[in-house]
Amino acid sequence: MSLDEAVSSGAVGQRWRRTDDVAKVRGQLHYTADEPTRHVAHVAFHRSLRPFARLVEIHTEEALALPGVVAVLTGADLYEALGNAIFTGPAFSDQPVLAYERVRFVGEPLAAVLAEDLATARAASDLIGVEYDELEPVLDVDAALSGRSYVHEELRPSTVFQDLAHLAGVRETNVNYQFRLRRGDAEGILAASGAKVTGDFFSPPIHHVPIELPRTVAWREGNRLELVTTTQTPSYVRQMASDLLGIPLGAVRVRSAPLGGGFGSKMYDRLEPAAAALAWVSGLAVQLAVTREEAFLLTTRHGARVHSEMICDEEGSILASSADIVYDTGAYADVGPRITAKSGMIAPGPYRVEHVAVRSRCVYTNKPSAGPFRGFGVPQLTFAHESLVDELAIARGEDPVAFRRRNLLREGDVAPVGTRMHSADFHSCLDAVAEELGWDQPLARGSGRVRRGRGVAVGVKAVLTPTVSNAVLQLNQDASASLVISTVDMGQGSDTIMGQIVAEVLGLTEGSVRVVPTDTDVTPYDTITAGSRSTYHTGNAVRLAAEKMRDRLIEIAAARLGVAVTDIKLGPEGVLASSTQVRLTLEELVRGYFGGARGTTLSTEAGFATEWIPYDHETGQSERVTEHWFAGAVGVVLQVDTATGRITLEHLAVAGDVGRAINPTLVEQQLRGAAIMGIGLSLFEEMVFDEGQLVNGSMLDYQLPSLLDLPARLTPLIIESPHRSGPFGAKGVGETGILPVAPAIANAVRDATGVRITRLPLTPERVLEALGSGK
Amino acid sequence: MPNLHRPDSLEEVLGLLAEREDAIVYGGGTTVQILSKQGVIFASDLISLRLVPGLAELATSEERLLIGPMVRLRALERDPEVRRLAPLLALACGEVANARVRNTASIGGNVAHGDYRLDPPVALIALDATVHLASSVGTRNVAVRDFFVGFEQTALEHGEVITAIEVPCPKAPVASAYVKLSSLAANDWPCASVAVALDQDGEGGMSLAVGLGALAPTTTYFELALGSAGLEEATARALEAAEELLDPLPDIRGGAAYKRALGRVALTDALALAWGGIN
Repeated sequence: MSLDEAVSSGAVGQRWRRTDDVAKVRGQLHYTADEPTRHVAHVAFHRSLRPFARLVEIHTEEALALPGVVAVLTGADLYEALGNAIFTGPAFSDQPVLAYERVRFVGEPLAAVLAEDLATARAASDLIGVEYDELEPVLDVDAALSGRSYVHEELRPSTVFQDLAHLAGVRETNVNYQFRLRRGDAEGILAASGAKVTGDFFSPPIHHVPIELPRTVAWREGNRLELVTTTQTPSYVRQMASDLLGIPLGAVRVRSAPLGGGFGSKMYDRLEPAAAALAWVSGLAVQLAVTREEAFLLTTRHGARVHSEMICDEEGSILASSADIVYDTGAYADVGPRITAKSGMIAPGPYRVEHVAVRSRCVYTNKPSAGPFRGFGVPQLTFAHESLVDELAIARGEDPVAFRRRNLLREGDVAPVGTRMHSADFHSCLDAVAEELGWDQPLARGSGRVRRGRGVAVGVKAVLTPTVSNAVLQLNQDASASLVISTVDMGQGSDTIMGQIVAEVLGLTEGSVRVVPTDTDVTPYDTITAGSRSTYHTGNAVRLAAEKMRDRLIEIAAARLGVAVTDIKLGPEGVLASSTQVRLTLEELVRGYFGGARGTTLSTEAGFATEWIPYDHETGQSERVTEHWFAGAVGVVLQVDTATGRITLEHLAVAGDVGRAINPTLVEQQLRGAAIMGIGLSLFEEMVFDEGQLVNGSMLDYQLPSLLDLPARLTPLIIESPHRSGPFGAKGVGETGILPVAPAIANAVRDATGVRITRLPLTPERVLEALGSGK
Repeated sequence: MPNLHRPDSLEEVLGLLAEREDAIVYGGGTTVQILSKQGVIFASDLISLRLVPGLAELATSEERLLIGPMVRLRALERDPEVRRLAPLLALACGEVANARVRNTASIGGNVAHGDYRLDPPVALIALDATVHLASSVGTRNVAVRDFFVGFEQTALEHGEVITAIEVPCPKAPVASAYVKLSSLAANDWPCASVAVALDQDGEGGMSLAVGLGALAPTTTYFELALGSAGLEEATARALEAAEELLDPLPDIRGGAAYKRALGRVALTDALALAWGGIN
């Protein structure tokens, strides 16, 4: 179907209501964590009190003796039952289901109590005694890189990724992965010339804080395992459980969706490995439900340190760019190595730069494990390159928007990673936010205690490639449809979007397509619901399935009406034979096809997979490193109270190139939501550790922005630069808006006060300190 | 799980408090439930004051406010008589958390909590209010200025419950102001809060009472005779007087030096605001 045909129909581009809005507002929607389950044993963990230690002895007798306690299992018990399979993880098989022989962070589960109720399980978990033999903890990335203590004795890459195989068995290092990007002679140019800008940037570990807390219920049915779990990655969890228990994929059933927020926190190995192992070994149905405080220990966003340098020539073109990046992945690698590479490849930002040198490293420390988080490591780097680009412009006395416009990548340019740009309209994004803020008008900056400033920033991210999506479509004879996919709706609105794609192809009406909740017994493989990939990838599989359905309906109609298939038109009212002007409703057509039976369905299925050319290990270069790009820009006008250091946002504009907005309302909500999340990490959010112990792991002390902290105006701006192979030109938008928020705010603070702050979050104390030191 | 009691007389409340080991009285429950869930406090018995007659009454006269412990913070924030007679208290109550919490939380619970960062105590200590207490052995009154005795500690003794808070209405009020500064989200705990009450001193000049919150391990205060000082001199003298009281606890919301700086800003701002309100 061509784009022109698509536009003429009535679903794509429409502001259809969310399929679940009324149920959510009325409290009638059953989130996965609220789903009633069978009778279960409740699980409470005993957690490590040491950041790094050998486990000498775990005393469980007292806990076992407590009435109501059914079983107590330690890592050693699980190792005895399952062997080395207890070590799981998406990139490295380094994380034991329960700590085994060693604990590697304060709060790591080392024993599980199964009891008749949660209060008993928790009380019993307090009765477990542990003898530790303490090891020298690795508390920060400096200690990780220069010290003699190693979080893991040897690296254990997972068998999934061939490109990590050479790391197996490497000892005496905390660096589990290193990515290099090289093009031209950046180091030579940066070393030779004096007129460069440099900076050391730091983003702390933060947490996702989805409103719905994670929960997993697991039980054994003979030699099968059933899981009902809050996961964004049901297909991954199925494979993990199969590997962990040594049973076929078909013997594992994973159900999920809808979720009350994910943001990357409900991916890969969270509660699922422990739930699967405990249910399997104990033979009991188990429920793992964590408190808000425990959720902080399940996964975090990588803290990152970036040393970056940039230089431009006399005409103001960026000449060379370098970045030395260290991601703190905590005690277990999770997807840290993937983040290290995927982010490292865009470290120079969305600019034409001929000379690039990037080293991006992922290191272990004795902290809770870091994994995927909206933006996948990119916001930490965007903070660096967008701060430095501003400094380059300021050093030249040039307007930061004009400076960026000259240097931004354009359609057809080759990015520093070697891949050609398409459907990434940075210029339109930047222009849109600049226009929204009235950038061409002078800003009244104030001269007293309160200063005003404004700033912009641009972000780029590559979509996860390669990936696989599948869709099965069942058309009901009454012109409604069931869509069987493994994309998990967690608030982003995928159920609505996918329905609109089907409706667009088949001419169905609003609300007529139901997306079946994920059930791996039924819904087909889908890589993950993350990385802003669903609209493009699953959306394409859905589009293809719908087009097959359209072709099938036309064939059936042509046979029934005795005309050629080219004579049949499919529309909202049914089919029409152009030559004879005979019409049939969908119901007449489908019911007739099945000999008059009522309630019949037609099924089609389709898959969509993307390919890449793996990047070169020395240079990071690839002609096709990604299927497509995300492009976004943020502009901010703000006030700084120079007496208190407090930042007040007046206006924030956020633009994203979505290729084509399947549903503009949902796109705007994603842009807004991402911007608000970005405001939190820019101004307030930081997981604070003291000797490896998290000290602010509660909603009282871990601060999210409140309604009162939002800008007086928050404007989402949709940019549409259609992608040649996106469904109706569309791409995802979940992460686009978060990428440039922090540097836009930091640039506006710089504009208002003259000080450049390179450490997030921009707390009033940090602002005041910077003002005081006059930096 | 603690035992839940809903007595309908003060005698019954006092009896339970006397006989139970770790009984906790609650008003709105907004703090008790959070601290219980977090394991910060432990209660064998929870005693609701909701059904006890008279505890939610608010009596006002030109001389004083007599506030029942179950009066909601939202009511104190909005009551026209409180706003007229003790505007400082209304201002401070209006700064607590958010409207949902203020509609539930009670003034008695807020004062009994004794946390050094709470808003109403800062106003009450500046206004020289008095806490009325009762127990199974009798009643007593304690000045708010003597009530907050240390970090998270009040003068409340085992078996005692707050039965009223008495706020004297200044005979010749001049102006007041409340300034609360937080370092993280807007509705977070403060890093510094300052209540300023300016009164006539009876000799043609002004007297100043200042409550300080979040700036020391406990809510604290000072008074100054300003005479005929102008704002600049008053501010200088107030900052000097405050200096020895500023003893903030460093935490994730800021270091001690930062909080002291914020305290000085809050005091300066509050004085300027109050000065601006002088008729």
